[in-house]
Amino acid sequence: MIAALEVVVLVALGVLAVYGLVLTVLNRPPDRISTIAVGVVVALLVVQAAVAVVQVLGGVQLVETSTFLIYLAVSIGVLPIATQFATATDENTGDGPTRWGGTVIAVGAIAVAVAVVRLQYLWDARV
Amino acid sequence: MSDSVRATSSGPGRVLIAVYGIFALSATARAAVQIASKFHEAPVAYLLSALSGVVYILATIGLAGHRPWSRRLAWTAVVIELVGVLAVGTFTVLDSGDFPDDTVWSVYGRGYGFIPLVLPLIGLWWLRRTRANVRP
Repeated sequence: MIAALEVVVLVALGVLAVYGLVLTVLNRPPDRISTIAVGVVVALLVVQAAVAVVQVLGGVQLVETSTFLIYLAVSIGVLPIATQFATATDENTGDGPTRWGGTVIAVGAIAVAVAVVRLQYLWDARV
Repeated sequence: MSDSVRATSSGPGRVLIAVYGIFALSATARAAVQIASKFHEAPVAYLLSALSGVVYILATIGLAGHRPWSRRLAWTAVVIELVGVLAVGTFTVLDSGDFPDDTVWSVYGRGYGFIPLVLPLIGLWWLRRTRANVRP
């Protein structure tokens, strides 16, 4: 894990969450900017996860390695799924994305931020 | 689709489903790790942890689904969730000795920002709100 990158990731997640909530307040469905923003944030998370996995494989000993790896997977996977869900057309009702899509992305961003903070705790507890 | 019943997945319902989905994921993953790594330390607590994961999964499926049984499944799961968080929360407040504080429902979900306590109330409100005869 790179401490500086973690700060960047958390700030980016915060910005993304605020942007999603602003979309809801302005009554707009998720737009191209939100998709790009999610892409950028996920790219940062992938870099962080790749570095962490290389470090773990390279011999860094953690107290709870399996929990750490699960959180890494969660940190990468949640936002793409949340964004897909936020922008999808409901196949049963035919409803397209609504203003609430932004809040769905914000929820995903907050959840990932929690996962990143927990990752840092687990990382700090290395042997 | 019926005229008077609004889909539980419509509008803000998607936000609710997203939150339930995240709790389904985190509670289930956490219980799986607990049962795999330290089940003997507190079997009852970790089984309850697994139960909470299952309840969140069923609530997510019920709220997101459009089948005839989806709404009933959601009602049932959310009621069990409310009873669970109140029971486990009360038990852990009264007698924190035996019970590890790292399950989702411990101390009314304190470790999760008390969201586990608020979530079933919002879920019940949303199920009632979308039930029937709600004019926009």
